[in-house]
Amino acid sequence: MADDYARAERHLRDVAEYDVERRRRYVDLQPIDIAQIGELREAILNHLDAHVEAFFGYLAQYPEASGLFSRRNLLEDARRLKREHLIAMVGGEYGRPYVEQRVALGALYSKVRLDIRLFLGAFQALSRSIVNQIMALSPGDGPKGFQRSESLMKIVFFDIGIIMDVLIADREQTITLQQEAIRELSTPTLQVRDRLLIMPIIGVLDTHRARQLTEGLLNAIRANRAKVVVMDVTGVATVDSKVANHLLQTIAAAGLMGAEVIVTGLSAEVAQSLVTLGVDLTKLNAVGDLQGGLEEAERLLGYEVVKTRVQVARRPLD
Amino acid sequence: MVDEAREGLEGELLVPIERDPDVVTARQKGREMAVEAGLSGSDLTLIATAISEVARNILVYAGHGEIILRQLERNGRRGVCVIARDEGPGIQDIPLAMQDGYSTGRSLGLGLPGAKRLMDDFEIVSEVGKGVTVTMMKWRR
Ligand SMILES: Nc1ncnc2c1ncn2[C@@H]1O[C@H](COP(=O)(O)OP(=O)(O)O)[C@@H](O)[C@H]1O
Ligand SMILES: [Mg+2]
Repeated sequence: MADDYARAERHLRDVAEYDVERRRRYVDLQPIDIAQIGELREAILNHLDAHVEAFFGYLAQYPEASGLFSRRNLLEDARRLKREHLIAMVGGEYGRPYVEQRVALGALYSKVRLDIRLFLGAFQALSRSIVNQIMALSPGDGPKGFQRSESLMKIVFFDIGIIMDVLIADREQTITLQQEAIRELSTPTLQVRDRLLIMPIIGVLDTHRARQLTEGLLNAIRANRAKVVVMDVTGVATVDSKVANHLLQTIAAAGLMGAEVIVTGLSAEVAQSLVTLGVDLTKLNAVGDLQGGLEEAERLLGYEVVKTRVQVARRPLD
Repeated sequence: MVDEAREGLEGELLVPIERDPDVVTARQKGREMAVEAGLSGSDLTLIATAISEVARNILVYAGHGEIILRQLERNGRRGVCVIARDEGPGIQDIPLAMQDGYSTGRSLGLGLPGAKRLMDDFEIVSEVGKGVTVTMMKWRR
């Protein structure tokens, strides 16, 4: 539960007072609605169990919702929170405490990975159960039942908005973490032969990634006792002075560890930008393309690339 | 020059600069807007690099601020305008800050003078304690 609260807390930061007010405005919740809901309070409280059951009974039909049903304590929490929800729903107060309760429940749904579509289905079953009861309260006066239902539906949509935000925020958090992971994977260091590493850099090179890259490269040089590194920056669209400086320092550090860095694939546009900025590229060992870079690397390593009739063979110079 | 920039045509975009990834967003959006304004080739990279420099300065020296991107048209010539502004500490001595190699952040000191060289028009105004506004433009060749 501890991390439950941590999550809820994180989402709560997004629901400031002005946000609660705005949410009420979005669903057009008026004093008349609150008065209409007040008329329903007693009747709905008398049928609490049936309404709670409408929600969980719906979910129980679907094996996809087993994440909730297989964890008894979470299920109990969810039932308790749902009961409290229904009590609050007809309570007439839709401020921050109300929203906080919704957020806590949303955090629980998120924890059991409740499918958004299933949540919507269950919530619909719940509102149907309530609306049926409302209509039955004023037999022979359809318009009255309809108006009351309409007021209650505003709260229903108010609730859905909050739960959606919680579920989406959690998903975004997951995506951010995955992006981090992909970022790390996308600057691999490959050993192509003894003492020779290739580091292909694709995509955006920002300061964060530049730092990762330095660390990854220096570790790889140590682990492989590399003598030459070919750093391929084909596809890197923009390099500013800070990132350029970072790369130059990394190259200098590699040099101190006994490895020479050859940079390949520097685009004409990036080179022009760096020169215009005034970045000193004279210490950069740049070679046009990756193939050229590898040939240069092999030369530095004391190998020679020899074309024979059958294949490209490589043999030591001496 | 700022007033002139305000007369920009349709197409204005504001990118808040609060965290590192915002720098990347700003330069990507700047590139897109430059394409819309008819710029091409290496100019796109020059503009993106200049945006990166001023956005970076916002983060490092002011904490947060914003980049405003606009399309321009003057005498039938199209271009883009980049305004970088913040409400940070400001710059005391602008001519000094514009010198190559001058840095209070122990970095290369090339951002401001470099951005000026990368763009066609460049103006920087600052009031100490009130912040910095850099306005720069690049025109279609
Ligand atoms: N937005 C800003 N707010 C305050 N000071 C700034 C700002 N931008 C630049 N400066 C000052 O101008 C100096 C030069 O900036 P710049 O040319 O980008 O080089 P660098 O960022 O490498 O120091 C900075 O070191 C800093 O003192
Ligand atoms: Mg700078």
